[in-house]
Amino acid sequence: MNSLLILIGKTVSLISKSLNKGHGSTWPGHIALSLNKNFIKDVLAKNPNLKIILIAGTNGKTTTSKLIRTILEHAKIRVVHNESGANLLNGIASVFINFATISTYLNYNYAVFEVDENSLPLVLNELIPHYVILLNLFRDQLDRYGEVNTVASKWQKAIEQLGHKTIVILNADDPQIAWLGLSLRAKRGNLLQEEIASSYFDKLSIPRNDSTRSNLLYFGLNEKTKSKIPQHASDSTYCPNCNTKLSYKSISFSHLGNWHCPNCKDKRPKLSISSVTTYPLPGMYNRYNTLAAVLLCRSLNIELKVIDSALQDFEPAFGRQEIINVNSKKVQLFLSKNPTSFNQSLQTIYELNAKNILMVLNDKIPDGRDVSWIWDVDFEEYLDPQTNIAISGDRCFDMGVRIKYSMEIKNCSPREAGKLKIEEDLKKAINMALYETPRTEILYILPTYSAMLEVRKILTGKKIL
Amino acid sequence: MNLTIGWLYPDLMSTYGDRGNIIVFEKRCQWRKIDIEVKKLDVGFSMYELERCDLLFMGGAQDRQQTIIAKDLKDKTHVFKDIINRNMPGLYICGAYQFLGNYYKEADGAIIPGLEILDLYTENPGPNHPRLIGNILIELDPVILGTQNAAQRTPESDSRQVRMTTLVGFENHGGRTYLGLGVKPLGKVKVGFGNNGKDGTEGAVYKNSFGTYLHGPILPKNPHFADMLIKIALERKYKKPIDLSPLEDALELNAHETVVKKLRIHI
Repeated sequence: MNSLLILIGKTVSLISKSLNKGHGSTWPGHIALSLNKNFIKDVLAKNPNLKIILIAGTNGKTTTSKLIRTILEHAKIRVVHNESGANLLNGIASVFINFATISTYLNYNYAVFEVDENSLPLVLNELIPHYVILLNLFRDQLDRYGEVNTVASKWQKAIEQLGHKTIVILNADDPQIAWLGLSLRAKRGNLLQEEIASSYFDKLSIPRNDSTRSNLLYFGLNEKTKSKIPQHASDSTYCPNCNTKLSYKSISFSHLGNWHCPNCKDKRPKLSISSVTTYPLPGMYNRYNTLAAVLLCRSLNIELKVIDSALQDFEPAFGRQEIINVNSKKVQLFLSKNPTSFNQSLQTIYELNAKNILMVLNDKIPDGRDVSWIWDVDFEEYLDPQTNIAISGDRCFDMGVRIKYSMEIKNCSPREAGKLKIEEDLKKAINMALYETPRTEILYILPTYSAMLEVRKILTGKKIL
Repeated sequence: MNLTIGWLYPDLMSTYGDRGNIIVFEKRCQWRKIDIEVKKLDVGFSMYELERCDLLFMGGAQDRQQTIIAKDLKDKTHVFKDIINRNMPGLYICGAYQFLGNYYKEADGAIIPGLEILDLYTENPGPNHPRLIGNILIELDPVILGTQNAAQRTPESDSRQVRMTTLVGFENHGGRTYLGLGVKPLGKVKVGFGNNGKDGTEGAVYKNSFGTYLHGPILPKNPHFADMLIKIALERKYKKPIDLSPLEDALELNAHETVVKKLRIHI
């Protein structure tokens, strides 16, 4: 039965690829799961030695999983990975179909899966992972995911069911994520060993001695930051335990930082890692992604020098700071899909001294049909009025209004205001923005998810990979 | 001229880009040389500060955050009610709108008492009923607009002449709101769900207080509605008719039109 499903799936995948339909990463799995709902369990039963790493969080899943995959491959470990970002159950099943032999055998050591926020509990029903990384929770597509607290409580229930075989890696700087660990620890009581002290990772490798080994590890940043007040669009700034407003010793961005509760004294857990020597991508958000990936790989005893060389060789994932050359001009894509990710993109390109920006706002299902969130982005802080700004996408006028109200433009014509240009047709908008960009400069494109795929299709002929 | 806006619970009640409404108030006043001050009224604010405002705004929030607010407003309800009854203009979105009503019945039947300022109640019919989510288009009530015949005119409605009669936005709520006799709907639903998805009403108006489910946020794409609120607040403050100087709104109206076009496709 399952061999047949794999055969069907591989055929569907092949057809999809040859037609450039881009459904090869979801359809085969979708078909297999609708014919055998235990397909994932069945395949894993045949491959008991395959270890699974799950990565979940609002932002950074794709980059973090690619970082882990790159490091593991540098360590000569064979990895399968849902690299196209198909992160629902059907995406996971599709990876198995595309990489298994007809006899359902997977000749790999590790499977690295990024997992959608809502799908994490469903995925945990199907498999017992070796590692779970929880990166962060920010407000994102409220029409689809619901509110941050809703997702957090779903996650809490899901990870409480995990046994001691699973190592949970958490972002200590995100109060709601850290709280998952604190509550897990309280629930498990003495059964759980103490977390590893921060100095621990100064040693070259993790001893296999069980008394120091923990199944709960935390990463976080110890940067000195100017601000001690969470940014506007922050959700988790009240104590998850007692609802008191949290205090911060430092804030890296949004609600992430060195937090403590003035009332119940809960505080950021001890960090197992807070810095590494190489950060392959600019931006504070990528520091967290790198720390998460390195922490996992260190706990697998991968040598520092292997990790370092992998980080130096790292190529960004599609749409995540990906560079595309178009007619000897350079375009760099910064997927910007929710307030926090947009703010981080803006801050990063601001630091890169961006002179030419194209923002593309869509309201399709993967983007979230509600575009209200653009008013939670801090354009006021990061947009220089001297920048060439072009706007496109399904909701380009909404974005135009947002930018207009972030600047001191009084009389704004519908198409052009100062250096702001609005063009509904994406192809024309890209051409216009490219034309305005001198050869020595970079055109930074900040698209929502479906817009990013459309931009890639126009620039490379392919939506995903 | 100057205007003070009281922004109630800016960090707790601002889940859906609602701060856009504040930005719109600020900019549209500044562009007209009206001095504007935004007073953030956080947990623990004093009622004295509320008295000094000319226009109030409160956005939507997550459930947990509403519990914190309920606690904070407990001792202030009386004064708050009095201020609203004295015609303080205000805009209340989603969670704030529900909160001003008589009660909110949760999915499990538990009743959360409201502030009992607006004569309305909200019920969540339970997990088997979907949330009401999507783009929405409403036609403003003519009484609200002051476009009804002269006999029905009131001094309040005279200041509410607006250029356009539609509002567009995005709604996302589990609760269904039912209006009592003490309030009027803000408008009629053309496309979308509105208060409860059944009776075709959207929002509520009581004296100068406006409650609505429209996010989007509501004001950037409905500049006529923003100006109406500013005008009401200025006229109440300065006790004379005030004409706001027109602004170039082509971009805003294009954004408005985008939603209208989107929804027409689905009719």
